[in-house]
Amino acid sequence: MIALSVVFLAPLVVMVLGSLQRPLQPPPNGLDLWPDPAEWANYATVSRFMPLGRLLLNSLLLVVVAVPVTVVVTSMAGLAIVTARGRLRRWFVGVSVLMLLVPAAALWVPRVVLLRGLGLADTPVTVALLALAGTTPFYVLLFALAYSRIPATLLEAATLEGLSPYAVWRRVALPLARPAAVAVAALSGLYYWSTFMDPLTLVSSPGNWPVALGLRNLSEMEAALYPIYLAAAVLVTAPALLAFGLAQRSFFSSVERS
Amino acid sequence: MKRTAVALPLLLVLSACSGESDAGDAENSLAPITVQIKAEPEEAAVYESLVNAYQEAGGGEIELVTVGREDHLTRLSTAFASGDAPDVFLLNYREYAPFVQRGAVAPAGPLLEREGIDFADYYEEPLRAFTYDDALQCMPQNISSLVVYWNRGLFTQAGVPAPTANWTWDDFVATATALSTGGVKGVGIDPSITRMAPFIWSSGGTIVDDDAAPTRTTLHEPGARAALDAMVALIGTGATPSKEELAAQGLPEQFMTGKVAMFLSSRVEVPALREQRGLDFDVAALPTMGEPASVLHSDAYCVASSSEKQEAAAKFVAYAVGEQGQTLTALGGRTVPSMRSVASSPAFLSPTRAPASSQVFLDAIPLLRHTPVTPSWPEVEDVIGTQLQRAFEDGVPLDEVLTEIQAQADPLLRP
Repeated sequence: MIALSVVFLAPLVVMVLGSLQRPLQPPPNGLDLWPDPAEWANYATVSRFMPLGRLLLNSLLLVVVAVPVTVVVTSMAGLAIVTARGRLRRWFVGVSVLMLLVPAAALWVPRVVLLRGLGLADTPVTVALLALAGTTPFYVLLFALAYSRIPATLLEAATLEGLSPYAVWRRVALPLARPAAVAVAALSGLYYWSTFMDPLTLVSSPGNWPVALGLRNLSEMEAALYPIYLAAAVLVTAPALLAFGLAQRSFFSSVERS
Repeated sequence: MKRTAVALPLLLVLSACSGESDAGDAENSLAPITVQIKAEPEEAAVYESLVNAYQEAGGGEIELVTVGREDHLTRLSTAFASGDAPDVFLLNYREYAPFVQRGAVAPAGPLLEREGIDFADYYEEPLRAFTYDDALQCMPQNISSLVVYWNRGLFTQAGVPAPTANWTWDDFVATATALSTGGVKGVGIDPSITRMAPFIWSSGGTIVDDDAAPTRTTLHEPGARAALDAMVALIGTGATPSKEELAAQGLPEQFMTGKVAMFLSSRVEVPALREQRGLDFDVAALPTMGEPASVLHSDAYCVASSSEKQEAAAKFVAYAVGEQGQTLTALGGRTVPSMRSVASSPAFLSPTRAPASSQVFLDAIPLLRHTPVTPSWPEVEDVIGTQLQRAFEDGVPLDEVLTEIQAQADPLLRP
């Protein structure tokens, strides 16, 4: 376990150490990891290459809007699949899997046409509109799988008791699928924090871009300025790591309880 | 899905109706426009200062979108397909033909004439490269060429004389082998058609059967074959970095760290190399295999045909390629100005900033030729690059590679 975590931590360590190297030096021969002296000024320099505060705020807004919407939409859709009967159910699952097979590139143009037509193509939360479609059918299937372990009689009994479909979802199904909800929240949170292809094609003004796209543009910096790029990478990764650290406890407790 | 099918045509109709512009003439030329440029973060700063200078000179509002090299075409293609294109965008001559073919470009010639541009002030070769269907489609901002970058320190250390203006391929190979000592390799050359083209032309060969309307590749014919054979022989001497070394570090970085003493590239490397403290470098003309030749590298400003503000777009392009605009971009170090007067001004030639021999770029101008301008060229270039890489890095026999190029690239060129 420890050996495994070392493997996964190594890139993070290299990133942090690299961000403290002095810029404008020739690229090192081989691995020259330890910065001497540590160049903290790199972190201040990042804002000269991209409006960091603005972009971080855009990303935060995006995640705060998109994640709850994704969880609500996909958990409802998942319940619809599970409560459907016979062929309809198989058809729903089939369609979801089929949609998973559509390459992302095929969706770029229709999305831009649609959102531009609606006048929604250029806001910081434009990308969050994808959440209204569940972000990806994978999350829907994840919920369907989680619900399928709830005894069907339980859901039927709730309906017979006179609960509306909304109440069945809110009061019976969702509380029983808490681990799935947490997993979808974590996965979609990470997705919206790191996606750069969606905003690249959907969002016109650089002022409305999320921080991941800003970072993507920095990645073509010349080698001599790589420490500044890595400093930016640390600044973009840190909030995601922090969020995971805080959410970790509730994540594991919800998984263990089930 | 059903709802989308209904909504789509509706949206298209709506967006077509909203296209009418009702502003007067004076307002038109100052209308806010969007300009998309592919630029590394440091280059982006140069274009930002260009935009600021334009606005200070009384120009209209400009939203500058700078996108990384790899994302530029993706964003442009999606934007055009969905009718959300920028008013002005910068394109290389190797990649603009597909955009013209799909009717995405408003020919720059008449637009810029109205802005008072005199095309006689500009070098002809880039104008020719951006002429398609008998009309100037986009307005070139630079005229770069392929040159040899060389590390003066490594030359002195190995006791090798500096490159001369009219050196031959044999001199070049001898220099490269003499420089290959210890951990240093003599020369690095990317396996791409833009790097090979000048040598192919120099030895009397051609890349395609007809430069104006190509229908097949001719790399297997004697002239081109001789140049490629010479390249394989150079690689055989061990004076070039191995596949593993190239995988570990890019050529410009190997040059910066003194692992490679010479490499071939266009003007684009200058800003990065200037920032390397302690690196003493200069540029030299390409060696010749017969007739001297070099290959054009040029980007141009294109105006979108879908733009409702073509007048404002043309006004900005005229400023950017004008004397002030080109002086600003030349000072950034990355471009060889396409305007004759700026190219010969100190803004470009300044001997105090490396490379001392910037004149080499201007001397190459009469020798410049360009690769064919045809819509399928980007794909053809990919095919040739992949195959040349097999020959140069994996040691696949040239015969096999050339047959493969014919088999894959020729169908792309057939009309």
